[in-house]
Amino acid sequence: MDPLQKTSTWIGVALLALTVLILPMVLGALWIKVLTSAAIFALAASGVALVYAQLGLINLAQIALIGVGGWIALRLNYATDLPVTLLVIIAGGLTGVIGALFALPALRMRGLYLALVTLMVAALAQIFFNAFQFPNGGEGFWGVAQKSADAVRRPGFAQSDTAYFRYVMIALGVAFMLIGLHKSSAPGRAWAMIRQSEANAMAAGINVTFFKLWAFALSGFLAGTSGALLAGALGQLDARSFLAGEGILLFALAVVGGVFSWLGAIVAGLLYKLLPAIFNDLGLSADIAMIIFGAALMHAIMTAPEGIAGQIMGAFKKGGSDD
Amino acid sequence: MKTSLILATAATLGLSLMGEDAKADGHAPVCGLNTGQAATGEPIKVGGINGNAPPGDFSGGTDGAAAYFDCVNANGGINGRPIDYLVENDQWNPELAGQVATKLVKDEGVVALVGNGSVVEMAVNAPLYAAEDVMVMASGCAISECYESSHIVSTNQGPLPSGIGALKFAIEELGATNAACIGFNIPNNGGWACDWMNEYMSSKGLQGTSILMDPTAVDLNSVYLQALAEGVDTILLMLPAGPAIGLLKVAEEQGGREMFKWVSPTPLYEPGVGEVLGDYWSDHLYINIELNTFDSDGADNQNWVKVMDTYGKDDDRRDTFSQSGYISAKFFVDALLDLDADRIDRPSVTKAIQNIVGVESDLLCDPYYVGVADRHMPNHSGRMVVFKDGGFELMRDCYDIDTNYLEPILAQETALGLD
Repeated sequence: MDPLQKTSTWIGVALLALTVLILPMVLGALWIKVLTSAAIFALAASGVALVYAQLGLINLAQIALIGVGGWIALRLNYATDLPVTLLVIIAGGLTGVIGALFALPALRMRGLYLALVTLMVAALAQIFFNAFQFPNGGEGFWGVAQKSADAVRRPGFAQSDTAYFRYVMIALGVAFMLIGLHKSSAPGRAWAMIRQSEANAMAAGINVTFFKLWAFALSGFLAGTSGALLAGALGQLDARSFLAGEGILLFALAVVGGVFSWLGAIVAGLLYKLLPAIFNDLGLSADIAMIIFGAALMHAIMTAPEGIAGQIMGAFKKGGSDD
Repeated sequence: MKTSLILATAATLGLSLMGEDAKADGHAPVCGLNTGQAATGEPIKVGGINGNAPPGDFSGGTDGAAAYFDCVNANGGINGRPIDYLVENDQWNPELAGQVATKLVKDEGVVALVGNGSVVEMAVNAPLYAAEDVMVMASGCAISECYESSHIVSTNQGPLPSGIGALKFAIEELGATNAACIGFNIPNNGGWACDWMNEYMSSKGLQGTSILMDPTAVDLNSVYLQALAEGVDTILLMLPAGPAIGLLKVAEEQGGREMFKWVSPTPLYEPGVGEVLGDYWSDHLYINIELNTFDSDGADNQNWVKVMDTYGKDDDRRDTFSQSGYISAKFFVDALLDLDADRIDRPSVTKAIQNIVGVESDLLCDPYYVGVADRHMPNHSGRMVVFKDGGFELMRDCYDIDTNYLEPILAQETALGLD
């Protein structure tokens, strides 16, 4: 682990402790709810960033996969008495499998073509969600009844919004560790080689298809987990929250935040959920955030390819070398 | 000292007489204590949430409530304390709906919410309201949670009774036998209301079909063609005003006026609808209204007009939901005026609202009540109007509907001595 990585890890641990212990004591209930959403989408953004940073592949279907994870979590919530944390892990796992299955036929493509295919998958999911809706406690496979939704469970120790925020933050920390573990072990080395040259990777005996699918499955797992956590946060899910276009926005914000570090995903989550909430609270149109996102994306593409997180980390590096 | 006392008394008398003159000429609205003196005590925080974004604007309820509260504040407030009315827009977004309700209930500590109108927020926030023991006197409800929650009571009927009321009229007066309910594919909104519409048609030995569309990609042409293909004789527009008008325009382009009997629940009853629809639909569009007609001579309706004229903003909606917001706010204020002004807090307000039983208004067909119950639907009798010459004409005065859905509600009314 290089010194910068070590610093970054310590900063991450300190930030997690600070957010889990201190923030709930100083912030109002509104901001705890907003930050819970931001953390959930940071988790999903970390999946998009992983696939883009490690393999250079664009995934615009992450919002759809969040919806898939949420759908599975809701269905299991109403159909079983499984502990919520186990249910979140199962939703993540099954979404990972679904993500990999959708990625399989698309793996021959790269760049714009792959992006378009993932966008079409997102559009397909949007139609699916609108046609079949999210389970609300009804009977049958789809679990939808034309009535008010039954209650969605949260873990016994995370019933209040504050406790649930802490639960989500810990899940986010675990997800970052999982990504870090992958990057520093065999999959990370394989991804790095594939990104350099698929032909060389193949010549070196790396199963390119398997490791690409692994990346998509991990990204899908993160999206599914965030969908399950979102269902617990809101108490229900609505088809209108998983529009195909939102997948483009999440990818763009992951780029703006920075795809090469965990900090980038946090910046993406904050931009996606906190910024519109601030505008809304000030009585301004939340659409102003879209203008800022556009400008930030231009800035990232032109001057900061490693995103805002890259600039922050760069400042630390510079500070360190000055010493 | 004596001189200043005489002057002060004279000034007070003069102001009171001027106030009496304004009231006597019949133009000034009557609100709360109606003292003509602005309330200056410690404000009482009251919340309100509306849903104003495509595909529908449900801000009429909070507009009507806001105007009435302003009027109350200018007329003595709640025994001297003004109402600080905090309104948020959920923008049809469940996440935002949860956030703004949390802000109002937990951060601002409102004693109650009044005038809420939304297709989203009640579903997300019903558990929060119950957990925090805060009552919501809603005014523009359109989803099942509004009527099936312990801490939400809505003054408007919602799509289920209003839609079935429209169908009842269509069956009895227009000879409807096979109806299509066109709504949004939202389980607790279009799905819920259209499901009960189908059950109602079956109970009459008739046919009903649901045509539910994606609210994020409204394709009115295909919906219209689907209704044609279903071979129905009646179309029930279970939609907000915007998409309902869009569908009527599609039908107009295709000469569909005579092909169906056209009925709608209350959202199409809007002052501006005449200008948009033109003469084509005159005498062919029947609408069930959940409160009274806009031009009713009733005291509350006339006062609503005056309140909106005096305290409303130019861009405020003046629709059924605005009437509903006004009367919700009036019932709320009347309940609070019975409390000790110094001891108004959330528990006392929740209790005062739950104690409302049997209050009457010419805007409603039946007495309004809240009570302690796991569901509330005090308003389930409506009126029927026909769209005619750019305006509306009353076709049938107050009438109730007969659906199994009302069984627990009617049992509640019996228990409260309201039957």
